[in-house]
Amino acid sequence: MARTLCAVVSLCLGSSASAFAASPISYDGGVTLIEETDRESTSLGVHLTVDPRLAVGLRSEWDRHNDALLSGVRVTGLVHRWHGRNYQANIYASFDTGVAHGVGENVARAEPFVGGVISADWETRRWFLSYMAHAYEAGDVGSTVAQMGRIGFAPYVADTGALHTWLMVEIDHRPDNPDEIGVTPLVRFFKDDALLELGWSVTDDRPLANLMYRF
Amino acid sequence: MLRLLTAALVFAAAPAFADHKGKSADHHRTHEHQSDSTSAQSDVAVAADPKILAAVAAGGELIIVDVLGVVCDFCSTAMNKTFMKREEVAASAVDLDTKTLSLALKPGETLDDKTIRKLVVKAGYKAAGIRRGEEALKAIEPPQADETQGDA
Repeated sequence: MARTLCAVVSLCLGSSASAFAASPISYDGGVTLIEETDRESTSLGVHLTVDPRLAVGLRSEWDRHNDALLSGVRVTGLVHRWHGRNYQANIYASFDTGVAHGVGENVARAEPFVGGVISADWETRRWFLSYMAHAYEAGDVGSTVAQMGRIGFAPYVADTGALHTWLMVEIDHRPDNPDEIGVTPLVRFFKDDALLELGWSVTDDRPLANLMYRF
Repeated sequence: MLRLLTAALVFAAAPAFADHKGKSADHHRTHEHQSDSTSAQSDVAVAADPKILAAVAAGGELIIVDVLGVVCDFCSTAMNKTFMKREEVAASAVDLDTKTLSLALKPGETLDDKTIRKLVVKAGYKAAGIRRGEEALKAIEPPQADETQGDA
């Protein structure tokens, strides 16, 4: 039931790894490079912001849990942005499609896949909250659903151009995983055009490494 | 599952409370206290960026844009890159403390409010106010002694 509901929410409203990188949208004409590695998957994508509310990108994901490799196109839309004097909040929806095939012990041949992400975030210069649900369906190759949330705190408020540091905890729910609920403490470093996150899943001793660069 | 859905709804509802939670986060500078964090224009002096000062000293117009939603360096980069594509702009700088974009135009160039607001939207944000002339000059923090010497 949980799996079905999560999949319906994701596919109707909007696939990705962690809760940080659902926002490839930058400024008009901007290009964003995103690498994500979490306890289940690793992905790499490059996204072009064609409008302040829309980004189109190419993305490849290795789902280590399903031994699946997914490559295709991701379209991300900014559903709504709240601009406050001291905060920003966003809702994003993404749609993925492309080709998936099995790797390693997964002998499935190439299959088309569809996926989706819905995410929301709210941040000030001191606090960060986010939620994301994602899913993909790739026939015999496999499928997945997951949802995750984050809370973050900046121990100091950095000035423009300085090194920003965040301490965060990510909680993920993956019904397919033997450890359904995962906890990953992480640290985020942020300077100019680059964002780096390093963490460790205390649930199943796996690393988290996310990198985002905006050109 | 119910608890997870409840958590999701709480995350989704968070923006409604955001302004109150964020008020204390941005007061770390030892300038004047902001009188009202919900107003678009800050009473805090805008940080004096050397590039802006140099361009204004060269005869360019100074424009201060109060921007909503500016919370990180990605926001700064987005606005600087968007405005620096314009031929009229000599220098662009974002001050996260005051949530302002400072623009110094090239001597003899102009940039109307409508275009500025449109460019801020292209960067992904929203302009809440635009100050020019004396009002803009007054908003700038006086340069430190060493900066003054450096620009002389």
